[in-house]
Amino acid sequence: MGLVTHQLAVTIVVPLPSEAVRPTRDLLREYASQDPQRGALPFGKLSRVHFARLLILDNATDIGGWPLPARVVFISDIDAPLEAYLRELVETAAGAMDQIFGSSADYPTSRPVARKELIGFLQSHMVEAAANYVNTVGRSAEQIRSEEELRRELEKYLDSPDRDLSRMGSLELHARIGAHVRSREDLRWTSGPAAGPDLHFKVGETLHSIWVPLVLIILLPLLLVALPVWLVLVRTHELRDVPSNAKPDERRAQQLAALEDHVAQNQFSAVGYVKPGMLRRMTLSSILWVVDYATRHVFNRGRLAGVKTIHFARWVFLDDKRRLLFVSNYDGSLESYMDDFIDKVAWGLNAVFSNGVGYPSTRWLVLDGARREQEFKSYLRVHQQPTELWYSAYSQLTAENIANNAAIRAGLHARLSEEDAQAWLRRL
Amino acid sequence: MAAQTLKLERSDIQGLVARGYGRLKEARFILLRVEEPKRACAWLLDVAASITSAVDDAERAAVNIAFTARGLSKLGLPSKTMRGFSLEFREGMMSAHRSRVLGDRGNSAPERWRWGGHANPDVDIILLLYAVEESALDESLSLVAGGGKGIDEVAVLSTVSLTDREHFGWHDGISQPSIEGLMCSQSAADTVAAGEFLLGYPNEYGLMGDGPVLDPEADPDRILPHHLGGADFGRNGSYLVVRHITQDVPGFWRYMTAAGDGDHDEAVRLASKMIGRWPSGAPLVASPERDEPALGNDNDFGYHRIDPHGLACPKGSHVRRAHPRDSLDPNPGTGKSLEISRRHRILRRGRQFGSWTSPIIPFSKTLEDDGERGLYFMCLNANLARQFEFIQHTWINNPKFDGLYEDMDPVVATASTTFTAPAMPLRRRVTGVPGFVTVRGGAYFFLPGIRALRYLASLR
Repeated sequence: MGLVTHQLAVTIVVPLPSEAVRPTRDLLREYASQDPQRGALPFGKLSRVHFARLLILDNATDIGGWPLPARVVFISDIDAPLEAYLRELVETAAGAMDQIFGSSADYPTSRPVARKELIGFLQSHMVEAAANYVNTVGRSAEQIRSEEELRRELEKYLDSPDRDLSRMGSLELHARIGAHVRSREDLRWTSGPAAGPDLHFKVGETLHSIWVPLVLIILLPLLLVALPVWLVLVRTHELRDVPSNAKPDERRAQQLAALEDHVAQNQFSAVGYVKPGMLRRMTLSSILWVVDYATRHVFNRGRLAGVKTIHFARWVFLDDKRRLLFVSNYDGSLESYMDDFIDKVAWGLNAVFSNGVGYPSTRWLVLDGARREQEFKSYLRVHQQPTELWYSAYSQLTAENIANNAAIRAGLHARLSEEDAQAWLRRL
Repeated sequence: MAAQTLKLERSDIQGLVARGYGRLKEARFILLRVEEPKRACAWLLDVAASITSAVDDAERAAVNIAFTARGLSKLGLPSKTMRGFSLEFREGMMSAHRSRVLGDRGNSAPERWRWGGHANPDVDIILLLYAVEESALDESLSLVAGGGKGIDEVAVLSTVSLTDREHFGWHDGISQPSIEGLMCSQSAADTVAAGEFLLGYPNEYGLMGDGPVLDPEADPDRILPHHLGGADFGRNGSYLVVRHITQDVPGFWRYMTAAGDGDHDEAVRLASKMIGRWPSGAPLVASPERDEPALGNDNDFGYHRIDPHGLACPKGSHVRRAHPRDSLDPNPGTGKSLEISRRHRILRRGRQFGSWTSPIIPFSKTLEDDGERGLYFMCLNANLARQFEFIQHTWINNPKFDGLYEDMDPVVATASTTFTAPAMPLRRRVTGVPGFVTVRGGAYFFLPGIRALRYLASLR
């Protein structure tokens, strides 16, 4: 432990010549079937990775008639610093990078590719996310794995039949468990608190959390005039917008379902067109800017507006803001994920996705929309993209498990009151 | 939703939606395959005249009928209309993804089923017969007797006389939702919008769910109800889930007795912790320490206020998973939690098969395996994904339910699991609880409205 860190959202988008689409898709499926510890793309060996995925966006013609080239999209959620991650990545998976990105016109031509050049290539195709959600800022992948090991060790200790611990008081039992852990060399790391983000990061975030409201206050008179006008404009657009009644194609739905419900977590990737015109584009940019502010400073401790099952999520503009890509890593089934959306954060989803073509009708940007249950569920399935390759560093842990593990570790060596000791023991 | 008073078309609704026919103790379910659609349709027209509706009194017998997606197609429902049915129904219960969602693995995998599985003959129709006594059942059997009807019998599922118990020995069927506008409600929390169980009515979101609709021209005689969207084949129909489940009663009691070190009371206590009610039905939240037969029908309780941590009724217990009441996010203990709960309700209509073990709790001597017994689990709902499958996947089979780590439903999961009973100061955890139930068959059916049934019969 002792690594001081925060998480980063890495998005690499590389155009794919149309003749390379099929072979690349086959290749990704081949990699996906391999062991993540030993395969060609061994994410399991990269200690900084929380989640990673690769998917392919097919050639398309956008709503304005523009051709859109196919893309291969490589997304990962990692622990900072970026340079260390990229170094590890090209050291362990240079061959896979050649195979996946080699058809791109600007892929380095030297063979074998110099690591520095490869890193340069990847960096040149990185796209900044418009908004990014991290379940708990500053909790590293290594911390998550270690704390799960700690919990397992404690459960094993408590299950052992040769100790009768049930007659002890809570404080005594808590102390006994602490003493057991202290006696174990391999659990020495639990003695200090979990490492959080470094000072530099924290100062930056604090400043960001302050200057944004400050600027808003300065702009307030302007906003007060602009907001009602904007809202009325949005409303008039809403009245003209036509929701799509498209139902998911049966085979496509089965193909997507085949990738789901294998572990405790699931992945979701979707892409959609932004409604044409300045108003929608500006609305979406502004809303995502607000979302990013909220996820950085408000929803950064385990909950995204009441939803506790999302590990990471991000929104990325593509093609000069003509398309939006949304990806997330969540717990449980797609059905329960969609129900959570509808029941808990319909307003938030509406504010973002109602700027997308075909979304169920909304009123005043936040009303209805996702609350139209079946239309909304169809909309999501219709826009979903198969995540050809998906990796999770801790696929059998829910966000709730991870938070509980962190609380077990935090209270392990703490001085607790009787009541706190009871609450702590309930976590096991 | 609660404010609207809806007029339900009771005479068009099959009786099974309105009630479980508790007075008709005998039941038999006939699985049929359509051999000759034309003759089968003619036969259906006869059957339609015998179908028990929600207004019939069903004093002595009742007959209901439901169809798989394949059955409806075979009888001639156009594929365009079929697409109005939910994907889960059309795909059936045995796709690989569905097996993951439902937990049908190992011995419970569809490859090993006796009916409804990959290796079994098609099931197109289920005929549900109920009667006060066996002889009355036999009368209803004349509906399928004799040849030339264009149908072939795939299997007959016989039941054992209905009681208020299930085979492990517990009082069962206590908690059921009531359909708004159709039944007298026990409590507001249990009163659920008609559209949660019947197609063609507003659901708990205040919306009409998807359903199969035909072009108006496809129904020139106007057998079906017509509206702007066309001729409504779905209205007054419901999806019927049928699962053939065997219960290992001796295994269940062997396990509980061993885990309780041979002590009778301990065995019953552990089993009750796993179920969440005592054998009489008394809820653990109402009587945490001992069975209280006077509370055997108690259904008026929540979990959050009395038992937020599951010290009385474990979070992982069967009843707390299958129907978490007010215990889940957001805001447990409030109306908001109950509101979400109401979107995941089913009407249970199961019946038992195999002989009853006697005495009810056979932990002492007769632990040898003495034949097969179990449950024909049946339930009705309007949205398979959000109701039956959600309950099965997100609650029953989910090792992560309500913050847990590796605990599935200890009673009805088909695989081995861990079970945690919270206690002070320390939980009691048992690992390696074997699965006590096995799925032997199953299918998704559509139980149509009676006009829709007549329309179907008119197709060929």
